[in-house]
Amino acid sequence: MSLVTDAFVSQIAAVEPWPENATIYQPMKSEQVLLSDNASCLAVQAFLRMCNLPVQVVCRANAEYMSPSGKVPFIHVGNQVISELGPIVQFVKAKGHSLSDGLDEVQKAEMKAYMELVNSMLLTAELYIQWCDEATLEEITQPRYSSPYSWPLNYVLVVQKKWEIKRKMKAIGWAGKTLEQVYEDVDQCCQALSQRLGTQPYFFNKQPTELDALVFGHLFTILTTQLTNDELREKVKGYNNLNAFCRRIEQNYFEDHDKDSASGYSTRLTKGPVLP
Amino acid sequence: MELRCWGGDWGLPSVHPECLVVLAYARFADAQLNINLVDYTWTSPKGAAPVLLFNEREIAQPSNIISFFRKQKYNADYVLSAKDGSDTLAYIALIEENILPAMLHTFWVDAENYSSVTRPWYAARTPFPLSYYLPGKMSRDALNRILVTKGQPPLYSINEIEAQIYKDAKECLNLLSNRLGSSTYFFGSTPTSLDAFVFGYIAPLYKAPLPKVHLKEHLKQLSNLCQFCDHILSSYFSQNASGTSPAGQEAIDANLQKLTQLVNKESILIAKMDNNLRRSPQNRPQKLATLQPTSDGGIGNSAQPLTP
Repeated sequence: MSLVTDAFVSQIAAVEPWPENATIYQPMKSEQVLLSDNASCLAVQAFLRMCNLPVQVVCRANAEYMSPSGKVPFIHVGNQVISELGPIVQFVKAKGHSLSDGLDEVQKAEMKAYMELVNSMLLTAELYIQWCDEATLEEITQPRYSSPYSWPLNYVLVVQKKWEIKRKMKAIGWAGKTLEQVYEDVDQCCQALSQRLGTQPYFFNKQPTELDALVFGHLFTILTTQLTNDELREKVKGYNNLNAFCRRIEQNYFEDHDKDSASGYSTRLTKGPVLP
Repeated sequence: MELRCWGGDWGLPSVHPECLVVLAYARFADAQLNINLVDYTWTSPKGAAPVLLFNEREIAQPSNIISFFRKQKYNADYVLSAKDGSDTLAYIALIEENILPAMLHTFWVDAENYSSVTRPWYAARTPFPLSYYLPGKMSRDALNRILVTKGQPPLYSINEIEAQIYKDAKECLNLLSNRLGSSTYFFGSTPTSLDAFVFGYIAPLYKAPLPKVHLKEHLKQLSNLCQFCDHILSSYFSQNASGTSPAGQEAIDANLQKLTQLVNKESILIAKMDNNLRRSPQNRPQKLATLQPTSDGGIGNSAQPLTP
């Protein structure tokens, strides 16, 4: 079924230009969004900005349930709704905007590989810290995740989500890991990214790609988020070129745009959850 | 050092991808292993493999075992630059996210392959009462892993996920083939841990005599990956890969054959029951597979029209 939808969507997408009223939906930024969701939202925003496609940011408490895949963020363009970075990249490509067209086959393979690395290490580590570390779960995840709901729904939803994540961790062999090992994995991943980036401005030199957007989303969120302890942030802070990379993307794609759009509609940036 | 792993067949030193990764790396790094095959005796009852035993310590999972080898100075990666090391990590993530689900599905979830090849093979190498339980458990674990990691709305049932994971796997094989190009190994002329991982995950697909072969057909078209497997097999595994003495091996083989025959009879019965039980149409996956768009596909699965 998805193949038919795929073909259909790419046909439709190709003919219509990018509309003015494209919207990105994400959870409430100040009181609800979690580390991992914020990273994904920021990655998609960065990607769309890199493509120079205007999009209006809308925060909804029930964004997760509005999304077709149950994951945030999702974009609403014309009569299409697409969620998550991977499908959004393909959708935008069908509309004729692509950041990775200039890459050769080997570079494309490399980009895909590093994106999988970020998803399988950083994203999983964020989920682990949020849902499997008891201190973080109690102090941050539970109050934030359940903030839009009243008793008893607030407990039910948290428990449901917690089991879902734990089941996933068990299936991929992370259930037996300690928090220390998870931090080690994050460190290993950051080291790999840092070495791959080297002294270049972006991962594939001058031109940013979706990999840059994804890495920025995750690292910037980790750098700007206060958790129960600073260990995760310290791991990322240890890599100077990654810090500079985050600042570069922030300056080039977020601050300028904010100035430009001062008179326009609200393209306001969410810079990581403002956690207590 | 002693390695507990599943044994070999079909021209491979081990049929189990993760065991194969470890064996290949050990050969590349020239580490001497005492190999202890999982067999029908109760010496290694849990079926957990590969496991490296060293001074009373047990190390599981290929990535942990390989980093242990490195600490023991058996390093096949010393030729790599820092960037190559990072690439290795990234490509391993790529393989685990994209090829592993399709691999698990091909061997453990696809009813035809499972009942005619995988189940009899593993049951023959498991002690008697456990042989009725362990393959089933491994199959359930595989299915669970696929559902949990790939099954998100709007893909709920295994039939829907199946189309997606095979598409991902084919794309990933294409990427690997492009990355390998015409060189012998991924980083030049010496094999490294990435070669061990790629070999471990694709060689069983390439060699296994499975009735349902759509991923294998795709792999066969990528001739450089096939040559890569053949090359590693001929240069590193040309003699018998197991560490046991030939005489002992023969006795074990003879016993195994008897047992295999018994279990095969059993499994034919079970396969029949299985087919009756699993009422989902088994031809559907193949149909879907032939429908797949070639490489850069369309929009991902989560796109759908908005219904206000």
